[in-house]
Parts: sequence; structure tokens; C-alpha cells
Amino acid sequence: MRIHRNDAHTFSARRLATTAAAVAGALALTACSGGGSTGTGGSATGGDGTVTVWHYFTDEQQVRLMEEYKAMFEAQHEGATVENVFVPYDQMNSKLISAAGAGQGPDVVVFNGAEASTLALAGALAPLDEHWDAFADADQFPDSVIHEVDGTMYAAQGYVNLLGLWYNADILAEIGVEPPTTMDELESAMAQAKEAGYQGITLSGLPNSQGEWQAYPWLTDAGFTYEAPDAGALEAGLGRVRGWVEQGWLPQESVNWDQTVPFQQFAAGGFAFAANGNWQQGTAEADAQFEYGVVPLPVGTDGKVYLGGEGQAIGAHSDDPELAWDYLEATYFSTEGQLLAPEIVGSIPSRADAAQDEVVTSNTLLAPFAESIERSGANYPDGVVPAEAVADLQLAMGQAWSAVIGGQRTAADAARGAQATLEGLLG
Amino acid sequence: MSGAPTLAGAAAVAEAPVEGSSRPTRPDTRAVRASRRRVVFLLPAAALMGVLGVFPLLQLVWMSLHDVTQRTINAPGWQFAGLENYAQGFAAGESGPALGRTLVVVLVVTVLGMVGGFTAAVALRTAGRWSGFLLALMVFVWALPPVVNGSVWKFLLGDGGLVNTVLLALGAQTPVPFLYDTTWALLSVAFVGAFAVIPFNALVYRAALLTIDPEVFEAAALDGATRWGEVRYVMIPAVRATTLVLLVLTIVYAFRSFDFIYVMTYGGPGTATNTLPFLGYLQAFSRYDYGLGAATSVLAVVGVLVLAAVYARSIRKEEADS
Repeated sequence: MRIHRNDAHTFSARRLATTAAAVAGALALTACSGGGSTGTGGSATGGDGTVTVWHYFTDEQQVRLMEEYKAMFEAQHEGATVENVFVPYDQMNSKLISAAGAGQGPDVVVFNGAEASTLALAGALAPLDEHWDAFADADQFPDSVIHEVDGTMYAAQGYVNLLGLWYNADILAEIGVEPPTTMDELESAMAQAKEAGYQGITLSGLPNSQGEWQAYPWLTDAGFTYEAPDAGALEAGLGRVRGWVEQGWLPQESVNWDQTVPFQQFAAGGFAFAANGNWQQGTAEADAQFEYGVVPLPVGTDGKVYLGGEGQAIGAHSDDPELAWDYLEATYFSTEGQLLAPEIVGSIPSRADAAQDEVVTSNTLLAPFAESIERSGANYPDGVVPAEAVADLQLAMGQAWSAVIGGQRTAADAARGAQATLEGLLG
Repeated sequence: MSGAPTLAGAAAVAEAPVEGSSRPTRPDTRAVRASRRRVVFLLPAAALMGVLGVFPLLQLVWMSLHDVTQRTINAPGWQFAGLENYAQGFAAGESGPALGRTLVVVLVVTVLGMVGGFTAAVALRTAGRWSGFLLALMVFVWALPPVVNGSVWKFLLGDGGLVNTVLLALGAQTPVPFLYDTTWALLSVAFVGAFAVIPFNALVYRAALLTIDPEVFEAAALDGATRWGEVRYVMIPAVRATTLVLLVLTIVYAFRSFDFIYVMTYGGPGTATNTLPFLGYLQAFSRYDYGLGAATSVLAVVGVLVLAAVYARSIRKEEADS
């Protein structure tokens, strides 16, 4: 072997090249991987006794309920831990779908129940049939809280949420009106509240699925249905709410509000009404410095109110689906767990036995919601909407709702546009 | 997968110096070796760019030519759709208006960003306590994550926010609908985009202004130049090359406006602030029509690529001139 004076230099260059190649190779390999069973940043954790739960709650009381469930499960299962991971509402589905594509994801998902089909079609949720069939209390749950896609069950709801009409009793007493039971009474009360120096109503006008959820009762009151969409009825419903903006009863700023902000505005005391959900009970107790109450949304006989709420499911790539199921069975699906929901958040338990408990029946704020379920409750999403069209439809309707409240389009124009989209989606 | 050819290429590069080392060292051999060594240094960066930049871009184009929804995104083999996604975006009346709004945002951000950046740079050119403080503040604003910046502005521009409170105190009858009126909302998100880019532009302009020889200002002063004269006849010509580069960078920045819209208006009211990037986001991640969203994003990417080519040309020209 010849020794050359440039050998040291050459060796150095070669080592450098090898190092560079190794780095490049490692990067390439990293890019090619991603299908592993373990996750990062709050995803499945390799079966080490941790249940990772993805949720999108920002409301203090809803977060507290998650923490109570965590404590409840950890107390019952020695050695097991629960990790609650917050994911913003409008990023939840895309994160779940992309994680599923990489073979990753959380153990448990708490998501908008209406979007079960979107997640199931994308392969982000694990089928629950096996667990459900073996679940002794499965018969306590009504069909309306079970989410199935193509005959396979993917999620169930531990509670039901819906909208009602919250009122500021102090303002109503001052202007001398009773809580409204009809649309005319509501509009008359808002007009009187405005004359007395208050504002009328808060709701969400966001151009997304939250907007569609909020719009549905007012649109169906005007005769609109997804079964036989009619542009005239849609225009009437949208036009009525735009009229509230023009009268100064509803702030146009509501197009920037998600459902949390309008209730905070109501709780601050300046508004007579809020179209908001039963889950705001905890916030009302904590923040409202006035007497308040709830009546069913004053939608007519045609009017419907979505029966929503979060679905609970096991992630398709959970590394410990058995422990995930144990968590769900011990918390969201147990009587004890379901009774925490009305107490802390104000949600209505989905189990028949829990719904009959004194915690629920003695709660005067929940009674109007229960009445609304019976009188105007509607499946969310509507059964006539094909699974693949749910997200598209919600966005289109949310945008129409927002466009009219914000004055971007007239009610007639927005109704025509939405009608054309619906015809394409509903066939 | 892609690691194999990369490793082979690197190995070939690694072998080269060994062969060369057995021959007497000549100047041209040394140059070749130095050139090859440079390639070695480039390799990790090239691999990183390939994996994180080129590959996603190719996949985006590939996706835009296929029918990809939530049902098929994670399934093997997407159905080819040709240019259907592109046609659908325009036929549905979404892409055209979104392109128009994007151009409005680009115009506002570019004009305010360039003028604001240059003005701030002129003000901060001289050393002093205030200019040091302002400089630090600008770096802070520049370093703020867009989500934080956007959330702060959402509060500031609300009906009960600081801006409207001041305007009402000054005699305005009603709050200005900054974020919920069709026209105001688009202008507001564009303004916040400009606000966020001004610090960067100011820092770059300031660096360019500091390279001007002080004797030039002395000469101008002897000739009786006013403050405005110094700006007009000394500073602006001196930063011409910087302006061109910064102009292209600012336009590219404005063209991909997304963050502030996402945080402040979510595209609303209705679709009033749906720019091309945000429309692509909605189509892909709200409607789960990934093919359609990819097609819209490709349109935005093409716009940025054209500007990037202009940028590259201007850089080369500037280097050749200097």
C-alpha cells in the first residue's frame, strides 16, 4: 500500500462524503417512513398504558369535564394514564385524516358527531361493533346517538347537545315581556330591548359547519328542508336573520364569532337573548351576573333543532384499542361518567338511566332543552345527506349564512347559490 | 425508497478523490476536486430540499390531476381526472373571484409594505436611543408567529377593540366594521399582512442605506439638498437594486396570504376574504376534496413560481452589476 502525502486530505474528504451520504440517507429514510405504529406529539403511544385523547374544547367547563374523566379513569385503572390533547376545532378532521394516512393517530377521538362519516370514510376511526356487541349497557343508548357508516358502527355519543334560547331575565323584566314562545314574540322582545338601550341576540355567523348548525333552526322555521330544498324558503329564513342585523338586533360582527364568543357576549349582560347550547350552563353559572333562563328556540311547527354533541370513538391506529375502549366504557359511556356532564357542562346524558337521574330531572335549565328534543329534535346531519357530501354541504350553507349576515350577498342571491350547490350534492 | 439513488450518488462522489490522489496534483485536477467537494457539501441541503420541497410539490401537482376525497385519500391508486379539478374551480365561480381578491391583497401588501419599510428604514438610519428601541420593536413584530399577530389584531379591530374605541372617542358615530364588512374585511387582512412585512423590509432597506458612503450625504448637503432631496436623489437611487429584490419577495409573501385570513375572518363574511391559498385550504381540509384543493393551490404556486423566476433573474443581474 502506497503512502501518499495527500492521504490525510483524501481520508478527510472521503469521511465527509460518507457522513454527507449518511445524513442524506437518513433524511430520505425519515421521509419514506411514517407508517410506524408509534406516534409523536400526542398520538398513540406504543401500548404503554397511556390513553391519548384528542379533543377540541376551549370552554373552561368542557375542559374540566375532560380532566374529571381523566381522574376517574386513572383512579379505576392503576398504572393507566390519560393524556388529553387539544386540537383546534377546524384542524381536527384534517389532522386525524393525515395521521391515519401515516398509520398514526390518537387512542380516543372526541369529535363533532356530525362528521363521523367524514372520518370513517377516511379510515381514521376503528369499527366499534365488536366492543358494542359485548357492551352490557348498549341497550341504554338510543339509535340517534350511534354513528354508523355503511352498516359499521364507528362512534357513539355520551351526551346530546342542542341549541336553545337563553334569555337575560333582568332585561326581560325591565322591558316587561315574558320569555318568547313564537318568532313574533322574539322579534317584538328584541325591538323593545333595543329601545331600552340593550342589544337583541347573539349567535354565530361563521362561514363553516358551526354556522350551518346555528342556521338550521331559523331556516327550517321558514319551511326549508334538505329533503326537498326550496330556494324560496331558504331566502325567507336567511332574509329574516339579515333583517335582525338591519334592525340592529343582531351584531353584524357575529360573522367573526364562533359559538363561544357570542355566549361570552351574552354573559357580559348587554344582550337580551343568545341562541346557544345547553353546554353553556357552566359558563353561565360562572360568568353571568344576572338572572337568566332558557326556553326552546321559538321555531314553529316546521322548525327543527339539530341533536348534536361530540362523538366518541377509538382511533383506527390506536396502539391499545382495548385500553381505549376501557376508557370510553368507564367515562363517556358509564352512568357515573354521564352524570358528570349535566353537572359540569349542562349536557344531556344519552343513556336512558342517566337521563332519568335526579341530576337531570331537577335541573330547571335542562328542562327546556329536553322539551325541545321532543318537539323539534332532528338528526345531525340530516339523514338525507350522503356521507361524502356532509362536509361540502355544511361549508356551503355556513358560507351562505355568513354572507347574508355580513351583507356580502342578498338573501335571494345566497339562497340561489346555495340551492344550486345543494342540488349537486343531494342529487 | 428515495434513499437508494442518493446513497449511490454520494458513494460515487466519495470515490472520486481517491482516484485523483494517485496522480500528481495539477491545478485543473485541484479545481475539479474542489468542485466535487462542493457537491458533497451541497448534498444534505439538496436532499432536504428534495424531500421537503420538491417531493410535496410534485405530489400536489399529481393530486390536482386526480379525484381525491376523504374516501380515497388514504387508499392506493387515485382515479385520474385530467384537468377536471382546474375546470371545476372556475366553473363553480370560486377560483376567479379568489384570484381577484388575492390580487387586491397583493397590491395593498406590496404598496404598504414597500413604502412603510422604506420610510421606517429612513427614520431608523441614524443611531440613537429611539431608533434602537424602534428597531428592537420591529424585530419583535417580525418574529411574532402570524397566529399570535393575527389574534392580537382581531381583538384590536373588533367593535370593542382599541382602534374602534379610539375612533368612537374621537367622534365616530358607529364602530368601523373592520372585519365583518365585505370590503373592509379584505382591506383589513391585507393591512395586517402589510404590517407584518414592514419590519423585514425596513431591516433590509436599513442595511442597504447604511452602505451609502457618508461623504455622499456631505456632498449633497454642500449642494444645498433638503431632507427630502437626500431621500429622493441619494437614498432611493442607492437602494434601487434592493428595492427590486424586496419587491419580488413582498409580492410572493402577499400572494401566499393565508395565516391572517385563517385567524381573523376564516374567509368571511361569506367568501369575502377567500384568497387562492385560503380557498385551496377550504376545498382540501373543510370539504375534503383534496384534488380540487390541490388544483387551486397549484394555481397559487404557479403565480409564486413566476415571481420566484423574476427574483432569481434580478438577483443574478444584481450580482453581475456589483
